[in-house]
Amino acid sequence: MSTWMAFLKKEWIELVRSGKFFILILISSLFGIMNPAIAKLTPWLMNTMSESLQESGIVVADMTVDAMTSWAQFYKNMPMALIIVGLMLGSIFTLEYQKGTLILALTKGLSRRKVYGAKTLICVGLWTLCFWLSYGITWLYNSYYWDNGTASSLIPSAALFWLFGVWIFLLMIFFSTVFSEVSGVLAGTGIVLLASYIGGIFPKVQPYLPTKLLESQALLTQSMELSDFSWAMAVTILLAVAAGITGMVLFDKKKI
Amino acid sequence: MNDIQQFLPLLIPLILLEFGLLAYTLWHILTHTHYRRGNRTLWIVVVMIGMQFIGPVLYFLLGKEEG
Repeated sequence: MSTWMAFLKKEWIELVRSGKFFILILISSLFGIMNPAIAKLTPWLMNTMSESLQESGIVVADMTVDAMTSWAQFYKNMPMALIIVGLMLGSIFTLEYQKGTLILALTKGLSRRKVYGAKTLICVGLWTLCFWLSYGITWLYNSYYWDNGTASSLIPSAALFWLFGVWIFLLMIFFSTVFSEVSGVLAGTGIVLLASYIGGIFPKVQPYLPTKLLESQALLTQSMELSDFSWAMAVTILLAVAAGITGMVLFDKKKI
Repeated sequence: MNDIQQFLPLLIPLILLEFGLLAYTLWHILTHTHYRRGNRTLWIVVVMIGMQFIGPVLYFLLGKEEG
């Protein structure tokens, strides 16, 4: 346990010293503020542009903006945040392979499972922190300007998106044990994601795919219910656990 | 835009954060002499142009030398 804690601490220090932690926190806060800011500024922007729009035949009626507009922005921006966090952490294993820094620790008796566990915890933990930080900031602004009560089941719909992110990170870690290059890791994850997207074209399989979770915004307007997502949720959790376990087994045998 | 005050709770933190990000990235660029790709001038230009967040992210992904 103490060696695991020590390795976890090393990962944490690396995250801080490389500036990644700081920059991710800043960007998550930025994303959190941007959602209500865009919602708040849209009517004003439309007003200033209305004259030129009128010349081209577009009439701007009175716009009403509420918490829903801001939440819609949130769900539009979060995939971008996921991509940024993913890119920042994509090299968490491959960098160590390239520099050979794991060899020393492993030959000194640190078990591979502990390395794998610590890195997984760092990835998932940082995603959780970034996501809920953005969520919290947006929530605070929304309740300050408007009323969050207009949107129903806020937490479940956000949790579904968070779950999707966790799956992506476990996939990335899985591919880190398969490939030794960061390009391989990102390509592998991208291909799985693309497959899920393409599968979504077919209505019969669509409810079972992880990408279905990206539609969780529909919970806010009650056009879908949480039970509509139960299959996608179960499949995503299953896939995430499977990726985590096979990754662990593969990492045990990986040549470093 | 007569009631700019209602925008202030949004604008002040937004501006502070963006300039914080810019300042941190510029500080990092100026205190390092070697980059993985590109040179100092290129990165300063990139970070200034894409200052909202794209520039700093690009620098930390592609330009920063791994310690």
